[in-house]
Amino acid sequence: MIPSSLVPRGPGRSVLRLHRAALWTWLSLVAATSAALLWAYGPGHESALADALRQCPDGIALCDRTSGPWIGRYDTVSALGTIGVAHLSFLVAGWAGAALVGRELENGTAHLAWTQSVSPARWLAAELAVPALFVSAGTTVLVLLHRLMRDGGRDLAWASWYEYDVFRADGPVAVAYALCGLALGALAGLVVGRALPALGVALAAQLAVVVLGNEYRPKLWPVVSVTGTGSVDVPSGAAHLHQGVITAGGARRATSVPCDFADGPNGANGVRCGAEDGASGVWATYHPESHFRPLQLVETGAVLAVAALAVAAAFLLLRRRTAAASPPAAAGRAPGSVPADGSATGASV
Amino acid sequence: MSEETAALKAVGLGLRYRRRRGHVLRDCSFRLPAGRVCALVGPNGAGKSTLLSLAAGLIRPTEGTVHVLGTGPAEARERFAYVAQDKPLPPQLTVAGTLRLGADLNRARWDAAAAGRIAYAHHAPDGDRSGSLDPGARIRSLSGGQRTRVALALAFGKRPELMLLDEPMADLDPLARRELLGALMGEAAEHGTTIVLSSHIVTELDGACDHLLLMGGGRVRLAGDPEELVAAHTLLTGPARDLTGHTVVESRGTDRQLTALVRPGGPPGDDWRTAAPSLEEVLLAHLRNPGAPDLVTEGTVNP
Amino acid sequence: MVEYRIDRRSGVATYVQIVQQTKQALRLGVLRPGDRLPTAREVVEATAINPNTVLKAYRELEREGLVEARRGLGTFVRRSLGSVPADRSGLRARLADWLDEAHAEGLEREDMSALFRAALDEKYPEEQR
Repeated sequence: MIPSSLVPRGPGRSVLRLHRAALWTWLSLVAATSAALLWAYGPGHESALADALRQCPDGIALCDRTSGPWIGRYDTVSALGTIGVAHLSFLVAGWAGAALVGRELENGTAHLAWTQSVSPARWLAAELAVPALFVSAGTTVLVLLHRLMRDGGRDLAWASWYEYDVFRADGPVAVAYALCGLALGALAGLVVGRALPALGVALAAQLAVVVLGNEYRPKLWPVVSVTGTGSVDVPSGAAHLHQGVITAGGARRATSVPCDFADGPNGANGVRCGAEDGASGVWATYHPESHFRPLQLVETGAVLAVAALAVAAAFLLLRRRTAAASPPAAAGRAPGSVPADGSATGASV
Repeated sequence: MSEETAALKAVGLGLRYRRRRGHVLRDCSFRLPAGRVCALVGPNGAGKSTLLSLAAGLIRPTEGTVHVLGTGPAEARERFAYVAQDKPLPPQLTVAGTLRLGADLNRARWDAAAAGRIAYAHHAPDGDRSGSLDPGARIRSLSGGQRTRVALALAFGKRPELMLLDEPMADLDPLARRELLGALMGEAAEHGTTIVLSSHIVTELDGACDHLLLMGGGRVRLAGDPEELVAAHTLLTGPARDLTGHTVVESRGTDRQLTALVRPGGPPGDDWRTAAPSLEEVLLAHLRNPGAPDLVTEGTVNP
Repeated sequence: MVEYRIDRRSGVATYVQIVQQTKQALRLGVLRPGDRLPTAREVVEATAINPNTVLKAYRELEREGLVEARRGLGTFVRRSLGSVPADRSGLRARLADWLDEAHAEGLEREDMSALFRAALDEKYPEEQR
């Protein structure tokens, strides 16, 4: 299964030993999702395209009657593939909180490890590193296959790059969210110390991070802003964010009330505003598709930073709770010296 | 033996939980010389498990320090073994898998043969092997006694200099208890291993221990060689009168007749009948009388 | 090889029991000069007593000149104790005559034993421990 040179030694191997079932589940899940994505990329796409061409002999770009049994299946599988890859991080978070750390603390096997020759810090490092390796590898494979599927399926244009699930399934942020789930799950497990509550806390924390990511994503890279007198065009494929009128004083006011939206040339989205009093123009902001890459990278960095904070908090918590390696204060203490807590009296006389 | 060779030493050791009022353990000071077999006895809730957890470095004391093998618990981690009271083991692993886990987690000093002897060898006189374990059996399918055997196998496999065993006998039948004690004594004889066993029944450790720590109410009440501890006490029976000059642990009786367990401060008067108490009598008298002064015999106190 | 049986309820110190049983084995010829005593490990594994107890008993036997510790090899018997079964001086025969006499006087088995014990204690009191 795994090349022997990659089998980690010591505590790393013990993590594999203890969580073998989870490893197999993960590998099966990655394999099944990969199969679905590959099907959607290859035979699924071909059959769906054939379905579409049967109904639109002149080309599907100008045809909106695209339905059929294969198109239905293709839509379902590709949508589920996207949802699956986009939400892997929740699975990882829940597992890390409940099974990886929570249950080990609950049934005492963590303590068992800490009283072998492995310090709590090394134990946690192994608990994080080994799953991180498999989570990153599996998620990377799925992201690449997801991209393959989406690139191959552009002619059956379905979801846009900026949709929440698509964005999180289509680039490095998927790996970042999965690793963040692992870190938050481990922290939740350490804080709560019991499997089931840790599952809830881990899922809630991961949900918060994902919701915040969805919410603040547009702000992670400078938007493109356009202005015009009667109307502006937002290019095809761009993530249209806000629009409004420019008042007589030149100030921008965000509003949708007096605006019309219409198809512009070349698939662009035309915005027409200005019926309102004193409006001198129209403005709109958007992220063109070319922002996909910088947005992915900035969000990846932000999410990884959250993950790093969670990891640091987990190590700190563990260190505070257990006897960490530091020379005991009294080991070489001179007779009569004051204990560290200052409880001895008379020292100041 | 020098100060540095104490296998276990506590200085003003205490633990207080924020949520609960009062101490779980307070002001414990004692010294256990290396090479001893020490019984850690006391009623349930006396703080025995807490003391062992602190020594194992699983929790951090709120006051004082604990020294293990001349250093902190974290630094000594590779050199001592600890078996918790509830014998935690990964339920999903097999017995053999658990021993391999022990090898993974103790790469520096794992003795597979020593671990295997405890897990698989069973010296029943008639060749009955019902007490030995099936390497392929899952931990979750084992009985309490069998789990104890696996947990102890991990401890022996580590080849420790110090064994901290929390209630190791609780789940064992009399035959297995005897076998375990024999194995522990063999380990001590062969390698000079220091052994600390907690128990709430002192008689089951009779003859095996040459050191004793009695805990009660989160304190160390008595510490030292059991023979010395017993020798320090006398049972007095006689007419009710002043016991000044003696340290009274317990006194019971009527207006006319008094029975007292004392640490004599001098020769008792002629009207007292004296008797040597048993170890159990000494221990129980201290547990019944939380106000009686603690006794730590020579050689076990911190300088 | 001698096997020790420890009676925890006898009130006799454990190391004394080992000393006594070793001497008994020497008297009965179970142990002969040159024989190796069981190692401390062997004894404690079988009896679950503290190893120091065994070592203390062996030191006592060594002090009495009955055994000697050879480094790294074990503890060996140096000399035997007066062998009981041999009755060169007719002691046993005379004791048998005495028993017949006592029986004739109407003494029970326990009475004879107690009488012997009392006389023995009076003449050769047991060492104070």
